[in-house]
Amino acid sequence: MFAKFFDWYENRHDYAREWLAKNDGKVIGCFCSYSPEELIYAAGLLPVRVLGSHEPQDVTEPHIFSMFCPFCRDVLAQGLKGRYDYMKGIMLTQSCLHLRQTFTSWRNHIPADYSFYLYMPNKVQTEHARSYYSGELTKVRMSLEEWTGRTITDKLLQEAAELCNENRRLMREVYDLRKEPDPPLTGLEAMVMVASSFFVDKKDHNAELRRILPELRSRRLDRETGGRLMIVGSENDDTKFVKMVESIGSTVVVDDHCTGSRYFWNLTQFTGDIMQDIADRYIDRPPCPTKDWEERRRFPHILNLAKEFNVAGVILIQQKFCDPHECDMVPLKELLNSNGYPTLFLEFDVTVPAGQLRIRVEAFLEMLGVEELF
Amino acid sequence: MITAGIDMGAKYIKVVLLKDGVVQGRAIAATGFEPTASALECFERATKESSVDKSSIVHITSTGAGRKAAPNVDSDITDVSATAKGVVHLMKGVRTVIDVGAEEGRGIKIEADGKVVDFAVNEKCAAGAGAFAEAMSRALEVSIGEFGQLSLKSEKTIPMNAQCAVFAESEVVSLVHAKTPKHDIARSVHDAIASRIVSMVRRVGIEKEVALVGGVSHNPGFEDSLNRGLEMQVIVPEYPEYVGALGAAVVACERAK
Amino acid sequence: MAEYKTEPLKCWQKAKELRLKYYKDYQNARSKGGIRWTGGAWSFDAIPAGLGRDVYNITGEPYAASLAFAKRLSMGCLEAAEAKGWARDLCSYMRNYWGSMYLRKYAFGGEYPDPDFCFQDHICCSHGKWYQHVAEHKKVPYFCIDVSVGPYRDLDENRLMFVVNQMHESVEWLEKTTGRKYQDELLIEAVENEVRSTSVWAEICCLNMAKPAPLDEKSMYSLYVHGTLAKHAKEVADFYEELRDEVKYRVDNHIAAVPGEKCRLMSDTQPPWGFLKIFRYLENFGAISVGSLYTFGLIGVWETKPDGTWGPRTTPMQRGERITSRDQALRILADWNLSKPEWQHFYDPNLKTEMMLQIVKQWRVDGVMLHLNRGCEGLSCGIMENRLGIAKAGVPVMTFEGNMGDEREFDEKRVTARIDSFMETLGVEMTEKTAGTA
Repeated sequence: MFAKFFDWYENRHDYAREWLAKNDGKVIGCFCSYSPEELIYAAGLLPVRVLGSHEPQDVTEPHIFSMFCPFCRDVLAQGLKGRYDYMKGIMLTQSCLHLRQTFTSWRNHIPADYSFYLYMPNKVQTEHARSYYSGELTKVRMSLEEWTGRTITDKLLQEAAELCNENRRLMREVYDLRKEPDPPLTGLEAMVMVASSFFVDKKDHNAELRRILPELRSRRLDRETGGRLMIVGSENDDTKFVKMVESIGSTVVVDDHCTGSRYFWNLTQFTGDIMQDIADRYIDRPPCPTKDWEERRRFPHILNLAKEFNVAGVILIQQKFCDPHECDMVPLKELLNSNGYPTLFLEFDVTVPAGQLRIRVEAFLEMLGVEELF
Repeated sequence: MITAGIDMGAKYIKVVLLKDGVVQGRAIAATGFEPTASALECFERATKESSVDKSSIVHITSTGAGRKAAPNVDSDITDVSATAKGVVHLMKGVRTVIDVGAEEGRGIKIEADGKVVDFAVNEKCAAGAGAFAEAMSRALEVSIGEFGQLSLKSEKTIPMNAQCAVFAESEVVSLVHAKTPKHDIARSVHDAIASRIVSMVRRVGIEKEVALVGGVSHNPGFEDSLNRGLEMQVIVPEYPEYVGALGAAVVACERAK
Repeated sequence: MAEYKTEPLKCWQKAKELRLKYYKDYQNARSKGGIRWTGGAWSFDAIPAGLGRDVYNITGEPYAASLAFAKRLSMGCLEAAEAKGWARDLCSYMRNYWGSMYLRKYAFGGEYPDPDFCFQDHICCSHGKWYQHVAEHKKVPYFCIDVSVGPYRDLDENRLMFVVNQMHESVEWLEKTTGRKYQDELLIEAVENEVRSTSVWAEICCLNMAKPAPLDEKSMYSLYVHGTLAKHAKEVADFYEELRDEVKYRVDNHIAAVPGEKCRLMSDTQPPWGFLKIFRYLENFGAISVGSLYTFGLIGVWETKPDGTWGPRTTPMQRGERITSRDQALRILADWNLSKPEWQHFYDPNLKTEMMLQIVKQWRVDGVMLHLNRGCEGLSCGIMENRLGIAKAGVPVMTFEGNMGDEREFDEKRVTARIDSFMETLGVEMTEKTAGTA
């Protein structure tokens, strides 16, 4: 049922090349889940988030100091190895320092016709961020118009926002099904569904979601649900890990990470000022830790997810060297534990020692099982 | 003119005697806990076995981590420069030197005359050292010599995390438990080490010809992995572990003039 | 090789006293009914100054550097942070600071003095989170101003207003939090002092273009620190003017920091605080580090002059401008700080490479030593691209890994071996005798 999503995920470059052949537009590489895709669609372009390939590489050391997260280096490696040679433009939406370097090194060394650094505010908790951000998004709009030669009207923006909203709504519908005692899809399928949405035209993604949803609702998986798990972190599509976890008596039923639910959770609300509406959507979405201060708004959201999805335990997936998530980890762990959610902390790199992690997850699941007895 | 070079390495001391540009003798000794005494013994052996009269040696230069502890020397030079000089003495046309020892891996960019233009050293987060290969050969219960040969038997690469030696070791353990054939594991380990070295050398830029020296260059498995990682063939001189001492002897000759 | 004459800095004692007084004032603030707040060295400290003349602060980075310097205490702090579960690769200043807080130990004797509130600005990923944790641990209010609006050369009204609006918001917040009436005259005074202290620091750095250099970077660390403690304070601005006059005297009289100066270097990022002796090691080669973008631009504020050279930024007062309102003061404060050199590379490493090459040219630098600082992702951001840019420009450059605040990540032997090799490539040999300033 999810074969198409897997195909898109695994063959992302083929899809992009085909899209280019069929459409009179260009591909823009995005580096963060905060990218304002609405503007990119409105410009007739395809936004493609660049993710890593989970392979060790030896090309980024001259560019990014190795103490920065393996993910940001894996992403740069994709560019340096020429895998995105069809991509003519790149855009960074400001969040963490690590990915910023991926963008600036890419801009320095990999040919692109267009690049844009969008100074999204980090203090999303101040009301002033709203007008500031719609001002910055206006610059993106003008810049894209200049590059494409196409006028981005409010109408086009509205349509693009509705297209993105539709994608978000449909994925929320799929996620809702995971609240069931026996979810009709695995965490792996959900992960690939979301990750593939980064790479393909939302029109195509929506069509496929609409196609599978009726069947999905009545789907019965031939497997035990086992322990209901949530994964939290900056986790970046580690499908091997999720597959392993779900093969030993558990199901990942929900997540909070940046290639997961954070990306699509909230919708744009339309109030008549489309630029402000789009800006507000990003200001109000579940935050990345870099944008979660002075108050902690991420934590209540995570607790809520755990409750709504009836989670038994939480796996905290810490990408090595990812400072923003490390800065949340200790209080987050305390919060979850004190609210009755056992946690397992695992440190990740772009490749992981499956065997060692498996032992820990098995022990964790046993622990969850024992607790259920009492 | 006869000169000598002493490389006071962390693990091994090497001595080279040079007469008019031709090597007359070599000797190696374990550094142990008494480097000065070991150096004296090594030097003694080198002169005896080559029949070089000690009093005819006009200048001795030391190099290596412990170069300041070398006895009876006239000058010293860092091992980066010594390696560069040694390589250029042995082979023409080398512009990049990769020096991989027990603990450190280095990339050195040189000019035609051996002048060092830039250098990089593998740092904290690197599984790029010979000590790791030795540890892994023990984990697989083969000698380090067999470990290299074993790796050549494999035809596939299982990607291993090459960032952190601790992670890499975990992965090897996982592979062993998954009943992965030893030769495939051996190749993965060598590829991981080579990948870290290549990564580091890229910082100085890779320009042909590329020479490989240092103790780990004896490992054919590593050489093969390195060639594949660089997508070119490296040149390994004869007696690669003596290159530093040779370079020091060459420098001794320059300084004696 | 002729040796230059040298003598210790006359201001040295005063520099030490001023710094110690600052930390003691913070500790004793409450006994005099004063207010204590904590935040980063880049916080807009001029703003809380409007609450009265009895407002004291400690800034996290210099405080943590002081901790790092006291190795035993630092180890205790780092271990306390790790025991709580914090990752070791997090900002080492932050870990030292948190450790001091958990252990309730003050680096200057006694217990860690609790703040009344936290007041911070955010540019690197850790900034906003650092004091979020302090505030939740100490259960005090917290306000943080987001300054990540892009490089100064691209500053426009939308971006400036984002910062200024938050500043206005912070004043209201301060009034509500402390119950005090805000005094605009004090803010204006503080802003005037700040632009003075930071531009005079830049003047002092410029004097180091002289050969021989009157100051060495190791000494400069003990002098720029005042600007990181309280750049808005009159004492700091006055002290810098005094220091500038003395340094000018040294230049006029060819008084060197390193009498055997024969090689001029430039460093980058914070030094490994527990191993400042590597600067003394450099003196064995007659090598002196004349400064860095870090030392010059962490608190110094600069501008490109009409002739293309880099110099201290002209202050509003020097332009004949008078500050008469809160809004004007805040606008100037925002604009002034947004032009800070050390804030530019957060958006593009090429901007930093440009500035570094300018320093190499103007300060007649022979080689660059980059500290790949594992303890600070902010100042190490883009550093490998800086290395490439500097090497491409034909300037000799070396790197060494270390950590400004965690001595476990600094390998002294390895680093000195590196320096030896680098000196060889520069053709600089060790000299037999050397002597430095006190």
